[in-house]
Amino acid sequence: MEVVLSLVSLTATKVLQFSGLVDNRNVLKTKKMEEKALEVYDVIRSIRDPEKPNTLEELDVVTEKCVEVRELGEDEYLIIIKFSPTVPHCSLATLIGLCLQVKLQRCLPFKHKLEIYISEGTHSTEEDINKQINDKERVAAAMENPNLREIVEQCVTEPDD
Amino acid sequence: MASHFSSVLQLTDLDDFITPSQECVKPIKIEKKQGKSLAKIQIEDDGSYVQVNQDGGKQKLEKAKISLNDCLACSGCVTSAESVLITLQSHEELLKVLRNNKVEMDVCQKVVVVSVSPQSRASLAAYFDLSSSETGRRLTSFFKGLGVHHVFETSFSRTFSLLESQREFVERFQRKEQDSNRLPMLTSACPGWICYAEKTHGEFILPYISTTRSPQAMMGSLVKGYFAEQQGLSPQQIYHVAVMPCFDKKLEASRSDFYLEKDETREVDCVITSGEVQKMLEEKNVSLNDVEPAPLDTLFSSVSGGEFLSHAGSGSGGYLHHVFTYAAKQLFGEEVKDLTYKILRNNDFQEVTLEKDGVVLLNFASTYGFRNIQNLVQKLKRGKSPYHFVEVMACPSGCLNGGGQVKPKPGQSPKELLQKVEELYKAERPLSPEDDTRVAELYQSWLHSVGEERAKELLHTHYHPVEKMKNGLIMKW
Amino acid sequence: MKGALTPVQTLSAHPDSRCWFVSWNPTGTLLASCGGDKAIRIWGREGDSWICKSVLQDGHQRTVRKVAWSPCGNYLASASFDATTCIWKKKNDDFESLTVLEGHENEVKCVAWAPSGNLLATCSRDKSVWVWEVDEEDEYECVTVVNAHTQDVKHIVWHPTQELLASASYDNNVCIYKEEDDDWECRATLTGHTSTVWSLAFDAAGERLASCSDDRTVKIWKESPSESGQGDLSWKCVCTLSGYHGRTVYDVAWCRLTGALATACGDDSVRVFKEDETADPEQPVFSLAAQAARAHSQDVNCVAWNPTEAGLLASCSDDGDIAIWSGVF
Repeated sequence: MEVVLSLVSLTATKVLQFSGLVDNRNVLKTKKMEEKALEVYDVIRSIRDPEKPNTLEELDVVTEKCVEVRELGEDEYLIIIKFSPTVPHCSLATLIGLCLQVKLQRCLPFKHKLEIYISEGTHSTEEDINKQINDKERVAAAMENPNLREIVEQCVTEPDD
Repeated sequence: MASHFSSVLQLTDLDDFITPSQECVKPIKIEKKQGKSLAKIQIEDDGSYVQVNQDGGKQKLEKAKISLNDCLACSGCVTSAESVLITLQSHEELLKVLRNNKVEMDVCQKVVVVSVSPQSRASLAAYFDLSSSETGRRLTSFFKGLGVHHVFETSFSRTFSLLESQREFVERFQRKEQDSNRLPMLTSACPGWICYAEKTHGEFILPYISTTRSPQAMMGSLVKGYFAEQQGLSPQQIYHVAVMPCFDKKLEASRSDFYLEKDETREVDCVITSGEVQKMLEEKNVSLNDVEPAPLDTLFSSVSGGEFLSHAGSGSGGYLHHVFTYAAKQLFGEEVKDLTYKILRNNDFQEVTLEKDGVVLLNFASTYGFRNIQNLVQKLKRGKSPYHFVEVMACPSGCLNGGGQVKPKPGQSPKELLQKVEELYKAERPLSPEDDTRVAELYQSWLHSVGEERAKELLHTHYHPVEKMKNGLIMKW
Repeated sequence: MKGALTPVQTLSAHPDSRCWFVSWNPTGTLLASCGGDKAIRIWGREGDSWICKSVLQDGHQRTVRKVAWSPCGNYLASASFDATTCIWKKKNDDFESLTVLEGHENEVKCVAWAPSGNLLATCSRDKSVWVWEVDEEDEYECVTVVNAHTQDVKHIVWHPTQELLASASYDNNVCIYKEEDDDWECRATLTGHTSTVWSLAFDAAGERLASCSDDRTVKIWKESPSESGQGDLSWKCVCTLSGYHGRTVYDVAWCRLTGALATACGDDSVRVFKEDETADPEQPVFSLAAQAARAHSQDVNCVAWNPTEAGLLASCSDDGDIAIWSGVF
């Protein structure tokens, strides 16, 4: 997590320094990206952990800082989420990834491409999980499995829905 | 690591249902020590786990081992990680027991019995360029030299399997009008096939499968039942090892159906493959070619004049052959001497029929390998199977080509080797199961005395459909 | 860029769902599409436009991932996440479900007919590739089950003239299979991609195979004489197209008429590459000839060249649409 944090802040400072020198358009752009990131975070913070009664935010699985948004084109954004499973061997990591995919697919009002990763160093089979949760075919098939779907639905449904 | 189990087992998504539960998947065991209540766990670059105490001190954590019993206690957890099985049922385990025998007090010593399958003997015979019987004599000598007390062979117990299969078939045939799922009778000796059937086609397919015990399981009854009693031993005091051409036999031995609750012991404690025996010889720096042959243990062996006796028919036990000839005689009064095998789609799918006046009286088949099993199952499901009996084996070419057989030598093609093994296996003189007087005697003296119900338990077994994994929390997707 | 892709028509093929795959019948008169709505739709030309001729429903319980026409054009096979493959028979303008092939453990990802029409191949997340044989009575029997991949098998294609089969997998590899004695064996494993290989296409002569991947590249493989001399097939990567695709390349199609190579990409674009005919055949050079940057509003899943009308291309997307393009290169 620390690595990610420093990376994010490093990019942020760089962008800020750069923009201050050249053009404040970049500042606006950064601001816009931060707003988009918050919008994304707002969607995922309330997702519930598949096993515990808490939300992903409460468990520090996701934080504001774990969302990065980049502009891909006009009104199109690339969202990168890096979440941290609670324990290194958490076999539910793929399930959390699935919940993130599903909820964002459903709730985000703007056009986007999505990439979800596990924060570096938080999971022992990181690469495998990253590959699986970003394979849209696997995600689509998983959501047609009634047992998996039921769990995901429970996790992504807002309490007041 | 490539899987050792038959391709059928590999294909079946074992992971789906063997994934140990959340509790037991924990890879690290934390020994709680006083005064160190707060600690963090870190993963090092090499993937090991390190506990970081409050004072900053580090301590490498040990990985917890999951025992087979843990897995078996888990719902449907038959085949947990293959590594679990391999560690618990390996030649190392046998050597451990033999080592313990040398240091333990008398009360803890075990009587070690090894039951060798004829397919394993043929495989080792091919490797060492010996005859199958000679291999048997030298294996007996090798094992006894290690401290094994008795070396039996499973052609003997297979005679029981064949006799029971024959009777079961005739009984099913006679009742086929009353019960729709009595025929075809599908053989049960192949554990890979049984595992696949239970997991994938459960309720539908299991009624067709013969309840007769496999030769290994039959030997389990003989050794831990009859033999123990004769020797005045409790089943627990015997360590029973089977040498098999197949890794899946380890799974079979682990089935709860072959566990003696009362005595807290398995009928077959450990299964090692032909290849593992060869490894054992290598580790001991022994070539069978240099071993002095020993006289055969004739108590539970089919032997005549110092030579092993075998059964006619396929290298997978000859079930089709024996059930066919018996049924032809019993049901239709036909003496069949030679069976004509008609090759169908491929060599692993063959058919034998009994015709009289243009009417097909008996229609038998053998289907080996996953692809042929598939077609059989699909035909059954569509109600289009014309067969009365099918010899089903998971491995292409059957048991002589089992996954546990000794691998080809450098430069030797698998096909050449298989041919050699087949020749060696077939070189043994076949004995008709009915003509085995020792077996007939045991039916009289042992099985009649225990009563019909108990005899049935000793000779037959049960199958259990495995429910599909429904827990989304541990489901692989 | 020398060429251009002009949109001809957009069809709302699988509304509120994904359109996963499109396939032209051998004469190029019909286009079959399938998607997340579990349906298969058949599209035909009427006047200047393409319209839906029939909808095949109730064949599958889950997503229909791919469809394939038999070489005679009278049968359609569909592969579904419900673990089955359905065979449909064309009756005049309608289709009837003929049989359902069961056996895969989970999602069937692809189905393909051999050029003879007697063999059908399927692949699945269960890591296996199956070949089925069809007899005169429309009965299907499994002739082989091969486990050459260590992961999910995403796609399979037959060689255009020989009984040679290629598969692409989540394990980053491509495998090539041939019948040996009475069983099928993996005879070559093509390694080089660094992530999931999503699709494959042979060129018209079957001398080369194109593969596309999650690593955002397209690779061209060519059969070369075996080094070991042991009869194993040897396929070498002779060209890698990188730097063109912004995201996963989900499909690649090699036009049998023009030799143009089309790709479907997760960056919503359809691209067409042309080969420099003067280049050394051992080191072919492909250049981008045309690009539809926002071909769809979401990932493009599939591209398919019409087999009889040069330059006519169909694409489909996660947005549920099919787009028909007319290309000049």
